[in-house]
Amino acid sequence: MLRDIDDLLGRDLDRRIGRRGLLKGGAGLALGIGLAGCGVGSGNDASKEDTQKAIKKKVDGDLVYFNWAEYIDPALLKKFEKRYGVKVRESNFDSMPSMMAKLRAGIAYDVIFPSAEFAQRLIEGNQLLRIDRDKLANTDLVYTQFDQPWYDKGSAHTTPYTMYATGLGYRADKVSGMTGSWRDLGEADSGGKNFMLDDFQEGIGMANLVNGFELNTTDTDELAQSTDYLLDLKPKLRGLSSDTITSMTSGNAWIQHLWNGDIVNIRNQVDDPENYKFQKNEEGIPVGSDTFAIPVNAKHPGTALLFIEFMLEPDNAAQNVEWIGYPMPYEEGATEAFAGLVKTDPEINVTVEDLDNGQEFENLRAEGRVAWDKAWTEFKAS
Amino acid sequence: MSENRFAAGFLVPGGLWLLLLFVVPLGILLAISFGTTDDLGNALYGWYPENYERVFDSIYIEVLARSVGYALATVALCALVGYPVAYYIAVFGGRWKNVLIALVVLPFFVNYLVRTYAWIAMLGDEGLVNGILGDDIQFLNTPWAVIGGLTYGYMAFMILPVYAALDRMDPALREAGKDLYGGPWQTFRNVTLPHTRQGLLAGTVLVFLPAVGDFVAAQLLGGPDEYMVGNLIQQQFLAADNWPFGAALTVVMMTFLLIWMVLYLRSAAREAREVAA
Repeated sequence: MLRDIDDLLGRDLDRRIGRRGLLKGGAGLALGIGLAGCGVGSGNDASKEDTQKAIKKKVDGDLVYFNWAEYIDPALLKKFEKRYGVKVRESNFDSMPSMMAKLRAGIAYDVIFPSAEFAQRLIEGNQLLRIDRDKLANTDLVYTQFDQPWYDKGSAHTTPYTMYATGLGYRADKVSGMTGSWRDLGEADSGGKNFMLDDFQEGIGMANLVNGFELNTTDTDELAQSTDYLLDLKPKLRGLSSDTITSMTSGNAWIQHLWNGDIVNIRNQVDDPENYKFQKNEEGIPVGSDTFAIPVNAKHPGTALLFIEFMLEPDNAAQNVEWIGYPMPYEEGATEAFAGLVKTDPEINVTVEDLDNGQEFENLRAEGRVAWDKAWTEFKAS
Repeated sequence: MSENRFAAGFLVPGGLWLLLLFVVPLGILLAISFGTTDDLGNALYGWYPENYERVFDSIYIEVLARSVGYALATVALCALVGYPVAYYIAVFGGRWKNVLIALVVLPFFVNYLVRTYAWIAMLGDEGLVNGILGDDIQFLNTPWAVIGGLTYGYMAFMILPVYAALDRMDPALREAGKDLYGGPWQTFRNVTLPHTRQGLLAGTVLVFLPAVGDFVAAQLLGGPDEYMVGNLIQQQFLAADNWPFGAALTVVMMTFLLIWMVLYLRSAAREAREVAA
């Protein structure tokens, strides 16, 4: 069946690229070259004390904003500008390492959006200012699961922005034999149209869960078993892709390992959203989050604080959830908005139970980190 | 003398540019390639030559060999497709020559990444080509898709130098070949081809070098078994947080490419001497 050319191309070129897809996938690779020139140097040699200075919540200049592209409703930035009479000077990163490289180079941003893992690295390096929760309205709406996150003891330097769960997206009209297990990625009848996320954490993490290990295990024997599982899975896969929106909307993937927000964006772009399902798997659900943070060298931390507070307002959060397609962990507005987005397939939601039972990727250290890196590199190369 | 000094002054901006933006980063790259990472994966300087030992592990050599194979196939395809195009434009282009050459270059105004995405739209299982054929052929995620993407991506680098060589060639030479009772094929083999060898060689180098280090085609059009050395390096910097190993891989690859480059330059210089003699 021949579809209109405009329809075909328009669908691919106009679409909003999912944020995590962009992160590890297709469009993000353009920056590979951009790394040249970033030294190994550590930019700000800030001390613990520097990070403790109190921020006055008041307009102290334009907001220098640093985030993924397409990862906030632009209408909200306009609204913020209007309300406080400031400009939002936006720039974007396309991977966490490139965000870190810019920060290390000493460029001053007022608000950044690190993932949990990178938030912890920044906090340990004394790179994030303290955010006084008491000063911000609506922090009581943030899910209590984030009161003591593993990456930020006491929630002192970050406020959660979004959250995600990882599972399998699949075409209910094409695939048979989904059983609720991670093994379905290789075993269910997908007609050879199955893609795994091109992401070392998600890849090895999935294998660990399938084998019944802890998500973040660094045990040598367990990692060897997980690597074997992946090597066994490899010939059954059509490809590895983190640009899950392209792979599913183009019809190249009938089963795709993906983040729950991506399936929302996929359903927004197809004619038959009811056929695009999300499966959380019985062996375990990786969950994670992105955060707001204010770098220690921010020139306008007061405006940044106002901005975070602005995004916590239930109406604004709800509007943002509807635009980005990812859930935000706040009661009222955001929660209701996401439930509304996925009311025809509530499985896509990240529930409080998921947060309680799910497992979060943590920063691995020293030998553990090297072992994961090695396992993944060898899996890809062999 | 003063004129010489004046001429040398012209080298200053370019020299500074190269020093600051090429030599210094290259030095940093070299230094990092002997470095290590801290607990959390941040790169540290140091003396850890084992990064290089790891590069020569057989699984990585296999990736390098695969990349070279794909790049050579790309060169061959570019030559097979690009040479006739260049020939047609140079010989029969007439007053349309410049327009036709502009058409060859035009797609390059669009970013390579975007053009590769267009291939996904065209060659997808439910894409344009399968739509026209009324079929369900899997083009994507195969070695052919990767080689095809590379060929498309770097085609102009073959056409332009070959075209330049053909355009410079005196048409009287071809006519002389025919006057000497050479058929079209003989004339081509004995007259045209030898005269455009330098152009073909230049095109080969221009296509081979970027193709062997490319990571876009394999990532977007390849499957799990089409991993290339560019992907391996990119992964060390952007995913694995192992800059030292990524830098070591880069240094080895640059050295490897440099050898090719030197071979090419020497052959080009020899040819120039022969022509002059």
